[in-house]
Parts: sequence; C-alpha cells; structure tokens
Amino acid sequence: MKLLSFRIFNYRSIIDSGWNEISPDNVTGIIGQNESGKTSILEALFSFYNGAISEDVLRSDLTLPKVSCCFDIEPKQFEKILKEKLLPEGVLKFVRSSRVICLTRIWDDDLGSRIELRGEEIIGFFNQHTESNQKYEELIQNKINKFLKKRDEAIEDREQAELMLTRETENFEKVKLLLAEAQKESKSQKKSPDKSQAEAKLNESKVLFENTREVLELKKKGLEAKRKIADGLISQARIAESSIEAGVRHIEAKEELAVAYHNLVRFQRILNTTVNEKERRGIQIELDRSNDKYVKTLQEFEYAKENYIIKKHLASKVVSGTSLTIAEREIESEKPHIESYFTREEAGNLLFGQIPEFVLFEDFSSLLPNRIDLDDILNDNRLVEGSKAARNYLIISGLTPHFFKELNNRILKQKIENLNKEVTLDFQDFWRQNIGRQNKITINFELEHYDNTIPDKSGLPYLEFWVKDKHERLYPKQRSRGVRWFLSFYLELKSAALSESGKGKVMLIDEPALSLHARAQEDVLKVFEHIKDKIQIIYSTHSPHLIDSKKLYRLLAVQRAVEEDDTSETKIFSAKSFAAASADTLSPIYTLIGSRLSEQQFIRQENNIILENIATYYYMTTMQTLMKFDKDIFFLPAASVSNVETLVNLLLGWGLDFIVLTGGNKEGLKTNAELKKNLFRNDENLARKNLINLGKFSSIEDLFSTLDFKKYILHKRIGIPESNSEFLKENKLSRTILASNFMNEVQDKRLNFNSFDGETRENFEWLFRRLEMVIK
Amino acid sequence: MPDESKLNKEFLLQNEEIERQKKEIVQSIEYASLIQAALLPPSNLVKKVFKNHFIIYIPRDIVSGDFYWISTKEEWVYFAAADCTGHGVPGALMSILGISFLNEILSQKALLMANRVLNLLREKIMKSLHQTGEISVSKDGMDISLCVFNPETLELHFAGANNPLYYFRDNKLNIIKGDRMPIGISGKEEQSFTDNLIKLRKGDMLYIFSDGYADQFGGPDWKKLKYSRFREILEENHKKPIIEQNESLLNAFFDWKGEHDQIDDILLMGIKI
Repeated sequence: MKLLSFRIFNYRSIIDSGWNEISPDNVTGIIGQNESGKTSILEALFSFYNGAISEDVLRSDLTLPKVSCCFDIEPKQFEKILKEKLLPEGVLKFVRSSRVICLTRIWDDDLGSRIELRGEEIIGFFNQHTESNQKYEELIQNKINKFLKKRDEAIEDREQAELMLTRETENFEKVKLLLAEAQKESKSQKKSPDKSQAEAKLNESKVLFENTREVLELKKKGLEAKRKIADGLISQARIAESSIEAGVRHIEAKEELAVAYHNLVRFQRILNTTVNEKERRGIQIELDRSNDKYVKTLQEFEYAKENYIIKKHLASKVVSGTSLTIAEREIESEKPHIESYFTREEAGNLLFGQIPEFVLFEDFSSLLPNRIDLDDILNDNRLVEGSKAARNYLIISGLTPHFFKELNNRILKQKIENLNKEVTLDFQDFWRQNIGRQNKITINFELEHYDNTIPDKSGLPYLEFWVKDKHERLYPKQRSRGVRWFLSFYLELKSAALSESGKGKVMLIDEPALSLHARAQEDVLKVFEHIKDKIQIIYSTHSPHLIDSKKLYRLLAVQRAVEEDDTSETKIFSAKSFAAASADTLSPIYTLIGSRLSEQQFIRQENNIILENIATYYYMTTMQTLMKFDKDIFFLPAASVSNVETLVNLLLGWGLDFIVLTGGNKEGLKTNAELKKNLFRNDENLARKNLINLGKFSSIEDLFSTLDFKKYILHKRIGIPESNSEFLKENKLSRTILASNFMNEVQDKRLNFNSFDGETRENFEWLFRRLEMVIK
Repeated sequence: MPDESKLNKEFLLQNEEIERQKKEIVQSIEYASLIQAALLPPSNLVKKVFKNHFIIYIPRDIVSGDFYWISTKEEWVYFAAADCTGHGVPGALMSILGISFLNEILSQKALLMANRVLNLLREKIMKSLHQTGEISVSKDGMDISLCVFNPETLELHFAGANNPLYYFRDNKLNIIKGDRMPIGISGKEEQSFTDNLIKLRKGDMLYIFSDGYADQFGGPDWKKLKYSRFREILEENHKKPIIEQNESLLNAFFDWKGEHDQIDDILLMGIKI
C-alpha cells in the first residue's frame, strides 16, 4: 500500500486541512514560514500512525483531533485482509473500482483513539447496512415483545379460567347439595299428597345438576386448553427472556470494556511521560495489569456479543413457531451470516495493520549522541537524547541485548571492533554513492562503564560513539552538523530497510539538514531521489535548496489564514493552487526560480499556453491571427518538449494558470502522461482542463494538409505519402526556419484562412475549438 | 567467303536464341498476368458487397493497364476503376503499384473520404516515380474514379482524377465529372481533389469505367465510338437486368469493333443499388 493523501482535523493550528495529495513520485515537500504549521502536519501524520498525542496538540476549544489517510490497495489484497467476515454490500465493488481505502484515526476525551475505515461512499454502505440491520433487529425485538405480551395474556386467560372453574365447582357443589336435598325430600314425601310436587322439584334439580355438570366439564376442558396454551407460551418465552438478559449483559460488557480501555490508555500515557526509571517500572506493572484486564474484558465482551446475537435470533425463530431443536439447528447453519459482518472499526484495524510504517525523523532522538546508557537503549527510552539513533545503530550492527552479556571483555571488544568495521564500510558506501564525497569517515561505538565520578550510575554500562577521519577522533556532536545529520539519516534509512516488513515506509522528516550549508542541503535531495522508490518521503523545509525547481508539483505550501496572526488557522495549498498562497510563503520558490513575472507582457495570470517549441509558436500565432481568434491567450514556447515541464514548474511556482499543448509523438505523449500523473494524479477531468495533446497529429505541421504543407511551407512539388512531420524528420529540414518563413510569407502575401484547403481548416478549427473549451 | 553451312548454322542458332527469348518474354508476361489477376479483387468479394453488379474487363494484351479495386472499412465500401498510362507491361506495373497503394492507404489511415484517398494516392505515386514538377521527370500516372459508399445510408462520396461517375435515376443519366487532373504530376500545381456527396436511392444504376470502351475504333466508318455513343448504349441498356446488361454492353462493343484490333484496355463496372 502507498500513502496517497491525507486530511487533518483539529490538530494544533489546523482546523481542517482539506484533502492533500502526496506527490506521485514519492517525495513531498511542505514549505512555509516559521510557525505556519509545517511541523504540525508531520506530527499529525505520525500521530495517525502511532495513535499518541499530547494535550499540547489539542486546540483551545478542546475539539478532538482526527486524521485521515488514504492508501492505494490492490483489490485482491483488500479481500485477503478482510476475508474473515462479510462486508456490507457495495464496499467490495467500490474498492475494486477505486483501488483506494481511507482510514481515519479519531481521538476521544481520554486521548485514546480508534481507527475506522472511512470515505464517504464506504460510510454510506456501512450505514445502509446498519440501518437495514437495525430495522431487522427492531423487527425481531417487536416480535419478541409481542410474543411476551401474548404470553402474559395467555396466563391471564388461564388464571381467569381457573377462577371460573373454582366458581363453577362451588356452584356445582351447591347444585349437588340441592339435588341431594331434593332426593331426600322426594323420598320422604313418597307417600304424602305433596309427592308430585317433590318429584317435580327432584326432576328440576336433576336437570340443573346435569346442566351444571356439563358446564363444569366444559370449563375444565377449557381450562385444560388454556393451561396448555399458557404453558407452551411460558416455555417459549423463556428463550425470549434469556435473549433480553443477554442483551443487558452485552451492554454491561461493553461498558466494562470501555472502562478497561480507558485505564489502559491512561497508564500508557503516564508511562510515556515518566522519566524516572523507578517510577517507570512501577507504572509498567500497572500497565501490564490493565492490559491483562483489558484483554479479559475484551474476550468477555466478544462472548456476550455473540451470545446476545444468537439468543436473539433463536428467540425470533422460536416465537415464530419453530421448535427449539429445529431453531437451534437452523441457527447453527446460519451462524456465519448472522454475526459475520465487519464493523468499520474492525475493518479499519485490520487494514491499518497493513499500511506502510510511518517513521518520524527528528533531530532530538534521531541524531547520534555522544554517549547513551545501555539501559536506555535496551528499554527504548525515547525521552533520552539520541535514543533512536543509538537504537538504529544497534539494529544495523545486528546487536541484541544478549550480546552485551558476554563476560569476557577481550572477546566483547573484538566483536565490537568487527561490527564497527562493517558499519563503517557500509556507511562509506552510502556516503560515496548518494552524496558523492570521497573523504573517508569511520564510525565507532565502544562499551564503557561509569566510574565513581557519577555515583548514581557507577558501574553501569553505556555506549560511547566516535566519528573519525584521517586526522582526528571526535564525538558526533563535535563533527559538523552536516556529517552528523547524514550519519544519523543513514542509520535511520538503514535500520528502516533492515526491519523491512514488506509494507513499505513513509518517512516524515522535519526540516532536514536545517543548519547545513547549501551544498549539503542539495545532497539531502539527492538522497531522497535515491531512496524514493522504496520509501515515501514527506519533509518540511523553508530552504530553497531543498526544492527541486523541476518538480514543484511535489510541494504543499502552508500558511496561517491571517498571516500576521500566529493563532489563526493553518491553510494548505497544493501546487495547483499556489496562486492563492502569499508571496512570503512561496519565497523559497521565488528564491529558486526568480521573481514573479506575471506582470510581464507575455505571461499572464491565466490562459498561458505552453508550447513545445518555437516552430509550434510561429504556427500557432500565425493561425490565431488568420482565424481571427480573438480570445486573450498567450503562447509560451519552450525550447524543446523536454523543457515543457520546467516551464510548467515556473508557472506553478508563480501561481499562474497554464495549459500545455503537446504533440501526438512519443515525447509529446510522454510529457503529457508525466504531467497528468504528477499534477493531476491521472484524474482525466482535471487533466483535460489543462493538457491538450494533438493526438493523431504527431506535431503541429501535421495539421496542414499535405497539399497546403507543400504549397505554403515547403514550396516544393514532391510526393509526400508519409505525414508532414515524418517528411521533415527524414529530410532533416529545420522546423523553425520553415515555420518562421511561413509566418513571414503569410504576412507578405496576405493569405487568409480560406487560402487553405478544407482539411487544413478543419484541423486548425478543431485545435482552436479545443483551446476555447479550456481557456478562461 | 564464309562457309555457307557455317552461316546457316549460325542463323539457325540465332533463330533458336530469339525463339527462346521470345518464349521467356511471353512466359514472364503470363506470369505478370497471374500476379495482376491475383491482385484484382476476387469475384466472390465483389459479389458479397454488391449483389447486382457486372465488371467488363478486357485487357488488350495479356496484362492490362486498367484495374478495378474494392475494399471495405468499417461500414464503408471503397471501390474504384482506374486507367494507367500505357498499356501492356508498363501499364500493368503501374496498376500493380496503384492497387498496392490503395490497399496501403486503407490499412494505415483512419477512415478517409474519397478525395483524401486520391490526394494520398497521388503523393505516393509522385514519390515512387520521383516526380518533382521538373520538366525532365516522367509524367506517368493514372486516371481514376473512386467511390466511398455506405450501403446502410446509401451515401456515396465520389472523387475522380480525369474520370467521371455516371448514374441513372428515373431513366435520367446524371454525370458527376471528376477533377481535371491525374494521379501523378501534371503541368498545374496539385490541388486537392473534390469530394462529391451523392445521396443514392434504391434502384439507381452506377457506372465507372476507363476510356477504352469509348475510344475504340470501328463501326462502318472506322471511327471512335466516342462518349456520346457510349452514353446512348448505356441509356438503351441501363434498365435491363444485370446479366443481360453485361451481355448487351459486351455485344455492343464487339459489334462496333468488328474485325478491327482492340486499341486499349477496356474496363467498365456497373452497379445496381
């Protein structure tokens, strides 16, 4: 993956940097005055990578920072990284066609942070997925709720039925008594004259009894049915209730996780700012503890989440009438689909693992020190001056802590001597190849122990560094800053190359070679050129010697919104919008290419048309007059096509608009493609507004029909079956002389546009129409 | 006195040598004719493009200075009838050059209209014959009628170098004259050929041809047939079915020629739209 662009929010003086593109040839320079915010950009990018920020970074309104970086990615790589789970519909298709991913690091109140997969379209796809997922979840929840309501109703029904049954039983008992009484009475009245009355009463009681019994039976049956229903619902509801419980647990686990994370970040931050070794050890123990806790909580959270999702889906099935066993079986087979969607954070984290490594090269820790405690190197104590450089040295010499455990002093010294030789030879090679200097410098380190002049450290080991040349042996700090800087830069590059992870590197360099003289600064550029195919470089500078005048597209200009106000917001301008940047900001460029010339007659603020050569200039100005093309355009001829890019850079530097006209030949197409890539990142629409290629016409002469070419330019009757430009080349004719003669002749003979035949007219009309489309 | 028998012998030997050389020349010409035949479009290709057409092609010698050509590019059909200076071997060589150049132009360039094809053909001929407009150089070249036809839209672009296009519509003959300049160098400075756009209709009958037919001597007074008579013959026959037309036009030619020699190569293409 390669870094393509970045955007920074709320980081020191930057409120919103807007999207800024990294130079396609891997070297991006940030120019601007002191305090303009150059370093903030580099720091923000580094914070994006390592997640660490200090409170100084926060803006006074305490809005939290956010840094986004976009990377190019092979669709296959994207799929490979994110193969474990599914992605919302549309994401894959989008990445396949755009081949770009954007990751954003977002900081929270604890100054902890998270990485998310971003990008307007991507967010859209995820939101859509979340929405439909939410709707589905709601549907399930509603179903469960409805079901629970139904269960409650069934219970109520059953209770009602039980009550009724009790009443009916009581009633029945009463009727039974009445019947017994009636039987008794009928028996006793058998011989009395009231016999018939008693019998009638008995019969009545019998009927009542029968009826009541029937009702009772019915009620019993009814109750039975209601009980069955209620029991069924109650048992099904248990699943639904347990899904609700799982939901509650899920929320609890999430809260616990947030607390654990908060603690982890807090201890990490304390550790980062603690110098005292003793305190550091204590904090490290706390940090390890909170880390264990975090890992455990994370596992619990993962379990709670999965449990909740499964229970909910199970409940949904069961309450819809599927039996528990079948539902469980179904869930088992559907499981991967239920829980296998990535969140933006999960996807972002996985992708983040594959982005290039960002390395910050800064003077304080990256310049080789005179001496450093071995413990500080081994513990990677970044707060000690030169720690990174010393560590780099050890990486390059292939040393591990184990090495220093060698007890035999003689063997140890010998080993160190050998290593010093190896490193020196390698450095000399770098020095000669990249910087082109022949003088030999040797670098050495030695292992020493403190004596009792420093009682605190007495007996502890430290490393001492030396840089020697033919004449003397000096500490790094005693050497010129140039040598020291290059030496340290070499160490950084070399160790970066050794720890090659296959993911690429983005090296962030703040004011490289700040105090070097001009020649040494230009050497830095040489080194950049040399390594740019392997390492992307972003550096800040205000030195003209660290700018390549032929490659101004590499630059980003930084200035304050209100220039005199150091508290105002930082603004970033790309090479294409230099016109909007102030002259002070662009001063390194002006120093390099000369002062602004837009006030001159032949270059204007806009509608400058850069041409490949003088011949094209003669033809274009002549035809412009003949065609009575009255728009304000200014033709600028380069001395040859190879100089077109230089002219483009000059105009870029002066902040002037330009349009480039190139021929359809090999060189013209190449120049066109280079400009399209470097200036417009191959964006077809943007490029069309600034670049015109003659396409099927190899050069401007080919716009004339063969007949007109012979008649007005060659003045020869001769067969030319090839194109006019091929004819010129084969016959080694001077294009400039022919073109200038043509211009003079047109003026003398007072030719007009209609003197040319249809083919010529058609071609030039096409070209000027094309120009008209892009000029302002 | 030389020995008579020796002389006889020498004479016989010389005779044999001449016979051998003559035989070789005829063989070479026959071979050239094979090459020319191979370059002319095969009849099935022509048939594929134009269902109703005829081609009358009668070389005066074994090889011809006339040629016809047909080719397609995208939806367009390019076809031509040409008449090279000279006949026999010189004419044939020129015609071979012409066919090759036309094929080359069509394969190398983007879609071209009729006049641009002729402009380019002229450049190629001028270059290959080293024609520069100076008096000493050869004035060889060709006359040609070239059409670019779209069978879908029935749009036809015509450009002619000294040769015209005839077409009949509703019994009326229409003549599109070509430009008065050859493919090759001439006295005048080169001008662009003219592109004539004609919107054809179904049923139109097209003719392109070389001058051989109209220039043929014959008839009762041994005179040229002339274009006026040629047009009359076409007027009499243009409505007939293609096969009959072919036959009648051939008969009319041979009737006119009678016992006399054919004086030039003959080429006449008829196409019914």
